[in-house]
Amino acid sequence: MADKKYNAGVKEYRETYWMPEYTPLDTDLLACFKVTPQDGVPREEVAAAVAAESSTGTWTTVWTDLLTDLDHYKGRAYAIEDVPGDDTCFYAFIAYPLDLFEEGSVVNVLTSLVGNVFGFKALRALRLEDIRFPIAYVMTCNGPPQGIQVERDILNKYGRPLLGCTIKPKLGLSAKNYGRACYEGLRGGLDFTKDDENVNSQPFMRWRHRFDFVMEAIHKAEAETGERKGHYLNVTAPTSDEMMKRAEYAKEIGAPIIMHDYLTGGLSANTQLAQWCQENGMLLHIHRAMHAVLDRNPHHGIHFRVLTKILRLSGGDHLHSGTVVGKLEGDREATLGWIDIMRDSYIKEDRSRGIFFDQDWGAMPGVMPVASGGIHVWHMPALVNIFGDDSCLQFGGGTLGHPWGNAAGAAANRVAVEACVEARNQGRELEKEGKDILASAAKHSPELKMAMETWKEIKFEFDTVDKLDVAHK
Amino acid sequence: MSKPGTYVGLDKEVWGGMTTIGKTIRDAWVFEILPETENCAGWNLAGIDALLQKVNAEWDKYGCLVSHLPAELRERHDRIHGDAFKKAKAVGWSGEFETDDENYIDTPEK
Repeated sequence: MADKKYNAGVKEYRETYWMPEYTPLDTDLLACFKVTPQDGVPREEVAAAVAAESSTGTWTTVWTDLLTDLDHYKGRAYAIEDVPGDDTCFYAFIAYPLDLFEEGSVVNVLTSLVGNVFGFKALRALRLEDIRFPIAYVMTCNGPPQGIQVERDILNKYGRPLLGCTIKPKLGLSAKNYGRACYEGLRGGLDFTKDDENVNSQPFMRWRHRFDFVMEAIHKAEAETGERKGHYLNVTAPTSDEMMKRAEYAKEIGAPIIMHDYLTGGLSANTQLAQWCQENGMLLHIHRAMHAVLDRNPHHGIHFRVLTKILRLSGGDHLHSGTVVGKLEGDREATLGWIDIMRDSYIKEDRSRGIFFDQDWGAMPGVMPVASGGIHVWHMPALVNIFGDDSCLQFGGGTLGHPWGNAAGAAANRVAVEACVEARNQGRELEKEGKDILASAAKHSPELKMAMETWKEIKFEFDTVDKLDVAHK
Repeated sequence: MSKPGTYVGLDKEVWGGMTTIGKTIRDAWVFEILPETENCAGWNLAGIDALLQKVNAEWDKYGCLVSHLPAELRERHDRIHGDAFKKAKAVGWSGEFETDDENYIDTPEK
């Protein structure tokens, strides 16, 4: 058994699918894979096999190949590159003709690019690092329901990051107490509160009951603060029909924003929901449960920058991006790379940020990155500096863990973000002067002062997991 | 796994009482809903929940914010919560406890 080697079949893949002379067309969909081959299989053959198995090829050459225009439809492996610092694998660049994919269907694109090929015998591991979606394909997708500017107009909030908080268990999580926690956060100064991703419609708190109490909280907070408020009502459900029923109810009771888990809920459901949101003036917050299953292994799976592009095409107004700072510190440049992918209209190839291709989004609206997890008030200067205004900063424990309660935690974060934005606008360097900026603001906010005593030092204890390949050298 | 059917009492709470129930009891002391000698030991969940509703009604008068409290209540709040903060710190509680459960890897490996 151990001696059984990979065998291409009737003829080697590279005879058909390895085309180093090929110049990709503007309409081609381009992909970069990190390929870890089986021992003894030449790079060109493996790259060609990946191109074949993710496009027109089957496990071997069959007579029905003769009935299709192979030269038109086939994927073309057109380049191979070393992976810096890792001799076990290489990058393979593959161009796919646009006609291979159904318009407006990220589902169809992924079914081809990350389908059977990932179990292919010639490979030990395979990772989809990046995709260049041609503008011709981008134009067939609906994209974010509203986009960043429309969201700001709906909320009537400009010139600062938005603030959010995930509601954590409180006294058995009855819907009424849950709604109260939302109210306190919103009353204290948050723009949004959020359903935990695990909260769908369990027996302890059915969705309709939760939606009703949360909306009562939103109305109360809006009346008292004079600001538009929202709560990400999680409509993720066992079926898309049920999901739509919950979304319709959220709209009926006046909720401005709903939430969906785009990977566990599925991309068909997500696209359906995003299109409905666009038609009904609703904002859509996207959670990314299951992403680490796909993107954490450096040699196998799908990189998060691809999942980011997929979401922008499928549709969502917010997407969790990682924090860069705090306990969950990720590689700063890599994270900034996919934040650009979320928000910008045109992103240039930039290997220092892990971006393999130019990406033109045309007029497609941007997605607001959400920084969430392990962050607190001392991180605010760095977060404002790194993420800028068009972002949502979510402090869960960093809000609800305030010794004086939820409203105090929310007020501390609101005062801190406004102080940081003001200082930045005055030309001050946030990450250098952060302590002075916060201390000055705390003179007028006992809630912030207590938060600063509660969370003192910022420690960067954990090495980043997501290192760019260049950093491995 | 067995859970107590009644509350252990604020003086026996984990993390020096820096919990949701602990905060609720201290707020009840601030608003004089309970005497400061009452630590709620032996109360059931319904009793704590009823207390929470009373505390919430008091906070609603001041927009839920300490900075909106009148001077007398503010002084009581500073004293009661200040003492609790010191005690919690003394037994090892810190803000990091509140964010530790968010300590997952959120950035994919390259």
